[in-house]
Amino acid sequence: MKRITIDPITRLEGHGKIEIFLDEEGNVANAYLQIPELRGFEQFSVGRPAEEMPRITNRICGVCPEAHHMAGTKALDALFHVEPPSVTKKIREMFYEAFYCTDHAVHFYALGGPDFVLGPDSDPAKRNILGVIHAVGVDIGKQVIQHRKRNHEVIQWLGGRGIHPVAGLPGGWSVAVTEEVRKDIEQIARDNIAFGEFSLKLFDDVVLANKAYVDLIVSDTFTHQTYSMGMVDENNHTNFYDGKIRVVDPEGNEFAKYDAKDYADHIAERVEPWSYLKFPYLKNVGWNGFTDGMDSGVYTCTPLSRLNAADGLATPKAQEHYERMYETLGAEKVDGRYQPVHHRLATHWARLIEMLYAAERMLELATDPEITDPNVRAKITETPTEGVGCVEAPRGTLTHHYKTDENGILTKVNLVVGTTNNNAPIAMSIKKAAQGLITKGTEVTEGLLNTVEMAFRNYDPCMSCATHSLPGQMPLEVVIRDAEGTELSRGSQYTD
Amino acid sequence: MNYKTIQLTMEKIIVIGLGNPILTDDGVGVKVAYDVEKALGANIPTNLTITEASVGGLRLMELLVGYDRVILIDALLTNNGHEPGTIHQMTLADLRHISPTQHSASAHDTSLVTALEAGIEIGLHLPTEFSIYAVGVTNILDFSEEPTPAVADAIPKVVAMVLEELQLLLQPI
Repeated sequence: MKRITIDPITRLEGHGKIEIFLDEEGNVANAYLQIPELRGFEQFSVGRPAEEMPRITNRICGVCPEAHHMAGTKALDALFHVEPPSVTKKIREMFYEAFYCTDHAVHFYALGGPDFVLGPDSDPAKRNILGVIHAVGVDIGKQVIQHRKRNHEVIQWLGGRGIHPVAGLPGGWSVAVTEEVRKDIEQIARDNIAFGEFSLKLFDDVVLANKAYVDLIVSDTFTHQTYSMGMVDENNHTNFYDGKIRVVDPEGNEFAKYDAKDYADHIAERVEPWSYLKFPYLKNVGWNGFTDGMDSGVYTCTPLSRLNAADGLATPKAQEHYERMYETLGAEKVDGRYQPVHHRLATHWARLIEMLYAAERMLELATDPEITDPNVRAKITETPTEGVGCVEAPRGTLTHHYKTDENGILTKVNLVVGTTNNNAPIAMSIKKAAQGLITKGTEVTEGLLNTVEMAFRNYDPCMSCATHSLPGQMPLEVVIRDAEGTELSRGSQYTD
Repeated sequence: MNYKTIQLTMEKIIVIGLGNPILTDDGVGVKVAYDVEKALGANIPTNLTITEASVGGLRLMELLVGYDRVILIDALLTNNGHEPGTIHQMTLADLRHISPTQHSASAHDTSLVTALEAGIEIGLHLPTEFSIYAVGVTNILDFSEEPTPAVADAIPKVVAMVLEELQLLLQPI
């Protein structure tokens, strides 16, 4: 069997890799994504006061500290049996929308975008944010950085720190919003809306206007019919901060809707001998392998699946774009709601629609008369026991589950992080893309491997929760092996 | 040791300890930054910022905006047999040299070099002087606040090197 490995390595070796196994014929037999596991988090946490968790867990991951901070804070609400004041929920959500605005922007402009703006076959040295700036203009680069800067300011004002926020408290938030700050956030939200619309226009011009890209998006190679998961509010509209978890089947029928605390009744985890990743699946469908369809418990939790799981978006401009995406991609409307879109590359589009929603929702919150209410903390009177907190992280539903003794000292900790939800669909997407693109006699080019990478990049995977790095990048390594597994060639990017 | 501010330069300088402080050796940079801050006590001049962050790439570049000179301390895992605890002194040119392939696997992995180029391209004020201390590490997968012994031993050495570099601003008394 011949083996092709796409092997990302930072200075931290073995960060993860894609392995593609070819059969004797030279066709793809199998493809796997492997990621090393960070070990001992529960052991690290047990014995600590639970209220430290929002500050500890936001260190797990340098990519989405805000998501961990928020899931941890909500888990503390539940643990201490305390309902935060209404204003507190609004401040938290406003903070969280600022985070979505920065995070989704960086994915589109620095990661997913380059594949489209510059093309999957473009010189890899240019397929990055710098290449995007060169291709579409310095002004756009400035806008991206400005957009991130203003939202980082909001995160700092409301979160207490610019990078690893500290404001979350059980039943509360450590800072109230002054009128002065509110005004600034209102303006920032307006700027975010303009930037969101601008980004969708860019997507139109660059991606949708290019028939080759549209063909790629709707191609079978990048399509999987799985269940879709996402958090929804009481109107079944997408919500990132709070709500119930809704799952729709591949045809769009509601399959489950549950409180985050009941996650263990709905989600089970599959263990495979070839990976130490766990593969969550829908318990009430069952594990039926890495397959599509109604009988497979595989589900997806991404911007696209969140829109699939919802009946719509709660803000007007985002809703307009939501409808346009489903109409454009030919989704039928059944019983008043669109059938799910299963074209994985449409996740990039959905991400930009979510970014616009986050901006509009931020404006609603910034102009809510209650937002400057100074009473941001509820009194804690109950003995802590057990609590689950859940938010939509940009890359999937994030769940924190804590148990403590009567003094609030942790006895058990379980986290289901965003990317983990998508482990099975990511594996399936890689395999299908590899099979679609590599057949007997295919010359395995850089551009071709990049197109395989696009299959998992659309999930915005957070490959590790230790993210900063020298050289600060997650490079990929290609190893090609012959039928006996002997290495034929290797493109190495190790540090000397 | 005590320090006095002499401020031979009005350059804006930032010292950043990079890393995850709860992932064994990965937090070495963060620990160095805290120890530098502690060593200087109340004598930190206004044009010096000491901080820590668990970020890279674009976010790191954004942290550098407005500064003239930067001292970065980070963990480095190599595969060429350097002993853990080895202190590598590097420049931006070295970073450019080791900056590997441009394949992109994660949303958040734009390299610092690419991010800096993008920042310069759009006209941001970014440091021109880079001093990078990369400490060879061995364990970055287990959650712990304690580094391995060789890495722990390197911390005071790197702290001394960083303080030495800051002599433009501060002098031991």
